[in-house]
Amino acid sequence: MSSHREAPEISKDPVADSTDVYAFVSPDNPDTVTLIANYVPLQDPAGGPNFYEFGDDVLYEIHVDNNGDAVADISYQFRFQTKLTTPSSFLYNTGPISSLSDPNWNSKQFYSVTQVDRSGAHVLASDLACPPCNVGVLSTPDYEAKLGQPAVHSLGNDMQVFAGQRAEEFYVDLGSIFDLGNLRPIQELNVFAKAAGLAAMPGVNATNGLNVHSIAIQVPISALTISGHPTIGVWTTASRQRARVFDGADNIFSGPWTQVSRLGNPLINEVIIPLGEKDHWNRSQPVHDKQFATYYAHPELAALLPVLYPFLSPGKPVFPDLAALVKAGTARADLEAILLTGIPSGLIPGFTNYTGAVQADMLRLNTKIPPTSTSAKNYSILGLIGGDPAGFPNGRRVADDVVTIELRAVAGVVYNLIDPKYVPDAAIADVSDFLPVGSATITNGPLPAFPYLGVPYDGYDQKF
Amino acid sequence: MPSQDATRASAEPAAASTESGRLSRRSMLRGAAAAGAAGLAVTAMGAAASPALAATSQPSAQDSPQSHAGPIVVHVRDAKSGDITVFSGTSEVRLHDTALAARIARAAG
Repeated sequence: MSSHREAPEISKDPVADSTDVYAFVSPDNPDTVTLIANYVPLQDPAGGPNFYEFGDDVLYEIHVDNNGDAVADISYQFRFQTKLTTPSSFLYNTGPISSLSDPNWNSKQFYSVTQVDRSGAHVLASDLACPPCNVGVLSTPDYEAKLGQPAVHSLGNDMQVFAGQRAEEFYVDLGSIFDLGNLRPIQELNVFAKAAGLAAMPGVNATNGLNVHSIAIQVPISALTISGHPTIGVWTTASRQRARVFDGADNIFSGPWTQVSRLGNPLINEVIIPLGEKDHWNRSQPVHDKQFATYYAHPELAALLPVLYPFLSPGKPVFPDLAALVKAGTARADLEAILLTGIPSGLIPGFTNYTGAVQADMLRLNTKIPPTSTSAKNYSILGLIGGDPAGFPNGRRVADDVVTIELRAVAGVVYNLIDPKYVPDAAIADVSDFLPVGSATITNGPLPAFPYLGVPYDGYDQKF
Repeated sequence: MPSQDATRASAEPAAASTESGRLSRRSMLRGAAAAGAAGLAVTAMGAAASPALAATSQPSAQDSPQSHAGPIVVHVRDAKSGDITVFSGTSEVRLHDTALAARIARAAG
């Protein structure tokens, strides 16, 4: 998945497990950028009685580099605090929850927002209310109007913030793709699926009906960028204090914050970084990503695709050009540009999100590129490779099909930007876990306005 | 204040060493995190040192145990070399004290 349970250590620590990062020019407020970091993956909406929440003992941050050195110039920090209304009850709520201050809601969570920049640390707000989890029709009726939207808080200066449960909008055929790299729509070509006699079939969105916990903040572009540098680099981190002692009812947390999770571009620690390096990657900072560059330049997945999908028909390979690229040991400068430096100007007419020579895994957003209306002809959830410069890898919008984009990129769809003589394999057009592209089932889709992520699925109506 | 970019860039390797007393991007982050947590639940405990450690402590007047409002966690990384890390609040101090490490090791059995 994008970054859900992607590394051994963090898979055991869900509240600190970053799952997705989004950064885009806000379509309904294009003078601003919206930054979203999701945590607490794969939430079963019926997961009571202790429903999901952020970690009170975790420091969540969203970082912005605005001068291309891959070091945070502005960081937004989020700290949470849980308060029990009725500690003597085992219930999450003792009646319907009709507002964020409803005494029927037993386990409330509040948070502070602090901006750290060149001038120091500034607490932007504190004691902001999170919404409750969407328990069900009896406990959380009229969820979005009474609980979801009221949890959107203004921070002044054209900034707003939200932190709480949302519908999972990242879509992937998880059950198939991690079953020996199988893509159901073309599984008749997968060497293992073919042996099992499986015919092509539509993909299944494994995350449909699940929730996440989102931190979303909307900030004026002018507050994030500096003159001459319209492209920002964005990533999120979660940190814990270095020492923890289980001491009866009062756990002791002590020492400096140490990073345990990070996420910039989707799917990187998931499928680019090898298993033995994943925990190290999570503890590392983007500015030191040169140490991982070889995995971007020579991705294991690129070598696997021609093996897993050998032949269209006898003697006719699926990925002959990709296989030749791999066999030659060619460093994938295309992937390094997309994921580690941004795309320099001159490769794609009118487009760049290059931030400089420093190789760093950040989500790069050129804020000068206006949002593309979903009704526009060039709108595409395939983003840049679909002809839409407002989508991934120029930042990432909620609806972008990052699995297909990255699968096709790894398969070489844009390698001809580096070598004009290279002809991408024709089969790349069918590389996706959902065909036609955009056919993934998403019951609670994105919202048109902040916080953009959909209404969380409720436990009562879940359909498993 | 040094350039936060410069200090942040060096924060990662520095994270494994003593970080006390350095005005850096990282220390700013720590401070900010603590400020953001103001009002959050704090475990109010006295110094968590073992009786053996307490018996060996000879604090100076300016470094009295009372100056620490929260718990102190001591990690003896290597008793033989005396490599000790002391965690307190959102900071840590690295010590090299073979005698202290040996006393703690004996207390640990």
